[in-house]
Amino acid sequence: MCNISKKSEERLTALRDDAVAIGRGESMRRTVIISPDSGTGDTLPACFALGADSRLDIVLAVMPGAGCDISLAVILEGEGAEANISGLYICPGEERVNISVELFHKVPHCVSRQLFKGIAGGSSKIGFFGKIIVAQDAQKTEAYQENHNILLSETAIVNTKPQLEIYADDVKCSHGATIGKLNEEEQFYMRSRGISMEDAKALQMISFLSPVASAIADVQEREALLDAIEAAVRRL
Amino acid sequence: MDGPSEPEISSRPKPGNLIIDAMNDILLEIKGLRASVEDKEILKGIDLTIRKGEIHAIMGPNGAGKSTLSAVLAGREQFTVTDGSVTFLGQDLLAMSPEERSWAGVFLSFQYPVEIPGVSITNFMKTAVNSHRKAKGLEELKAGDFLKLMREKMAFVKMKPEFSKREVNVGFSGGEKKRNEIFQMAMLDPVLSILDETDSGLDVDALRIVAGGVNSLHTPDKAAIVITHYQRLLDYIVPDIVHVLKDGRIVKTAGRELVAQIEDKGYDSL
Repeated sequence: MCNISKKSEERLTALRDDAVAIGRGESMRRTVIISPDSGTGDTLPACFALGADSRLDIVLAVMPGAGCDISLAVILEGEGAEANISGLYICPGEERVNISVELFHKVPHCVSRQLFKGIAGGSSKIGFFGKIIVAQDAQKTEAYQENHNILLSETAIVNTKPQLEIYADDVKCSHGATIGKLNEEEQFYMRSRGISMEDAKALQMISFLSPVASAIADVQEREALLDAIEAAVRRL
Repeated sequence: MDGPSEPEISSRPKPGNLIIDAMNDILLEIKGLRASVEDKEILKGIDLTIRKGEIHAIMGPNGAGKSTLSAVLAGREQFTVTDGSVTFLGQDLLAMSPEERSWAGVFLSFQYPVEIPGVSITNFMKTAVNSHRKAKGLEELKAGDFLKLMREKMAFVKMKPEFSKREVNVGFSGGEKKRNEIFQMAMLDPVLSILDETDSGLDVDALRIVAGGVNSLHTPDKAAIVITHYQRLLDYIVPDIVHVLKDGRIVKTAGRELVAQIEDKGYDSL
């Protein structure tokens, strides 16, 4: 039908049956905060199917003390559709966070952007699986995926697995995954200006995570999340 | 004003301090300082005394230990101090963390200022200034007062106001990075400024701005250490005392006439 592997084709068919459809020209925004005293992410549909010129924006935030196992799929099936999926996780303890995102580009001229960033400390365990599938017909696709992680402890584990499956030849696609530590040169520079080690680390973590929160269009919602991030990293 | 004016004393002690004593003029005293990195000894016994009002130049060939000395004074942890002492305003500087040294009034202008993606100059400086105030038991500056102070100090080093929103040093030219260093110095108002190769990567116009900034921040209560390889910067920031550092030791100390001699005959002649 749209020339992808048999396995991906089967997966797509299974997902499409239960997908929440976003019609032509419509847009949907969802911000999902997962924390010990709020949601678990259950309210998020497992699959969205995007019609022509529609738009989906999802921001996911997993706060300290919360775990999650989220599988999200987005099918871009109408030309001109756009999906922006971003997420952050702050895991200082024994959290288990699994996030899987599958992006199916079925038709030409669609755009998808994924940005996931997280901090893993304590003995937390993070799994990120991201797959972009671009069908042969889906020329002029733009699909980007990034997953960046900061490890705060020797015992935290991050497993990141970005995958691209591209059958079209005129597309712009990229993916990047990194796992690193807080930069010590930056810390020394800040401390030499009188910024305490604690504040320096907090500034680093806030600046690392804030691009995800900035994706939230609603000002109040965005500010609330930025405040929650600041409070959370200051407790680390 | 009525009555006779008081004579100017360049190293006048603070009010309340009635005893004029040469010891009170000492800001920094380095004795027998030795430091290593990964078991390689870089500083092999440095002695240096800096008094209020003085500008010292430390010159020397590449690899002499100039930047190591500045890093050790600022508290960089890669270097291990193996011997000697450093006293700053009567306190043991080596026992202090980098941030405590900053609060006490030590400022290092970096040879290679560090880029901090995602952190704006405003946010960075606000955190720094308020940390200093907190250390002094003062309340945080009001947002309006802070912005006013920042605008004033940015203008002082001819930094455009839009830089306040830029990420710290990210995408800055060499000259912009060094001006940003002097801007930070103006904001934090240190007692002892250490300028590590502040001239590197600067064209003549930027050099003038940076040197002009340093000169106008200098007062009889303060001191500066200017670390440089070349004479150029010292044409603009004129030192009182010049030291030559070679292979981890100060091999010569003299007045500013030494600068010309080095420029003329090189370090090998010493």
